[in-house]
Amino acid sequence: MDEFSIGVLTNIGLISFLALSAYLLLIAGELSFGQQAFFGVGAYTAGMLTAIFGWPLPLAALGAMAGGAFAALLVGLPTLRLRGLYFAMATLAAAEMFRILFELLHFQRDIDGDLVGPDGTQGFRGIRWIFEQGIEPIQFLALVWALLAAAVAGFVLLERSRLGATLRAVGLDPELAASVGVPILRFKLGVVAAAGALAALGGALFAHHNTYIEPRNFDIMLGVHSLAYALIGGLGTALGPLLGVALDIGVLESTRFFHGYRMIVFGGLVAILLALRPRGLLDERIVHRIGEVFSRHGAARR
Amino acid sequence: MIRFIVFALLAAVALPAAAERPKGTLECKPSGTDFVYACTIRLTQGGKPLQGVKITLGADMPAMPMAHNIEPVVAKPTSQPGVYEAKLDLEMLGLWVVKLRLSGAVRDQLILRYEFDQQGARPATAGARDSMPHGSGMPRGGAMQHGAPMPQGK
Repeated sequence: MDEFSIGVLTNIGLISFLALSAYLLLIAGELSFGQQAFFGVGAYTAGMLTAIFGWPLPLAALGAMAGGAFAALLVGLPTLRLRGLYFAMATLAAAEMFRILFELLHFQRDIDGDLVGPDGTQGFRGIRWIFEQGIEPIQFLALVWALLAAAVAGFVLLERSRLGATLRAVGLDPELAASVGVPILRFKLGVVAAAGALAALGGALFAHHNTYIEPRNFDIMLGVHSLAYALIGGLGTALGPLLGVALDIGVLESTRFFHGYRMIVFGGLVAILLALRPRGLLDERIVHRIGEVFSRHGAARR
Repeated sequence: MIRFIVFALLAAVALPAAAERPKGTLECKPSGTDFVYACTIRLTQGGKPLQGVKITLGADMPAMPMAHNIEPVVAKPTSQPGVYEAKLDLEMLGLWVVKLRLSGAVRDQLILRYEFDQQGARPATAGARDSMPHGSGMPRGGAMQHGAPMPQGK
């Protein structure tokens, strides 16, 4: 595989973590424009742990997930009492606060003659763990997709479980779910923390793939895209956000002949798609139909 | 034994110098085609020109990492040691993070943060904007070489 294809596939994998994070909140009935903040928290935390404190990436990624979950809880505690667009606006504001905090973060140390660490708006250079460990791009791609496959498998198991049914119920009708004894706020806090951890894992991998991060990597544009991936791909299955990312990056990469105008073309396609299919390509109805076809096929074989 | 200890100490002192990271600078000027820049890359390691390295250049707009980027291009070595050339087709003006992925004799990735405008490229400052209006386009011919000091990529 050539370097360009490896790069594109790695990017699809990395953004998919963010898209899955937004998807998890969407099926819990919450629209968040702020998941990029936890992606950023994960990137900065893991970057600092490996580049400054010399932790191995697996441990640093776990630390980043804990940081992402904690940051998400900090945002979720005051904002989850809000509903609909008010919650969406609050998450957007919180994400901007995180981005400004990244701009104010200066923590550099001399590592082998180079200043390494966050340097405010000038970014954070020298996150070189994968180079120091001699990990090839194709190996890193395999790592990203293995972790993504594990995350999707987790979603599939979740959605087949009682917990998954509760999650959908909370998303569709929280009052009804509360009437049968679901502690809505506590449940949603758990979802928010899990979504934060997932986004942070993606951020940790992104920082190490890129070797450099800066605050504006985590601004509103990334948040809007992550939400769009979940909405384009569909809310019926965890494969929906992945389809959304693949379509986004695929369309962007295949419309390079439009040069600078390809973002406009992409925006138009998204608008048309959402007008025709408001719950995305793989919405609940399509997923249910596909499930029926498979179960009928299975029954016929028996 | 003493000889071994002296050798080990000397090796410990010498190794960091041998492992010194490569450094790179970038100098870009408009090529005459809209948003296409002719760039010269200078690579050094330990103060000496770094040769025999394959450089793949990529560029990302920081505000949309992973999605708003350019197709990577391989830089060609010139007759001067440690000097390479490449064309960057950036799609729009503004702040770009140029990545030099080194392979071959050295494996590393250097990051250079530059603001591209009608005159060429200059090191990005803290308040640099992500993009600039397209309308004015790029100057045709008469490309100006930018004289600003180039930061060392790390």
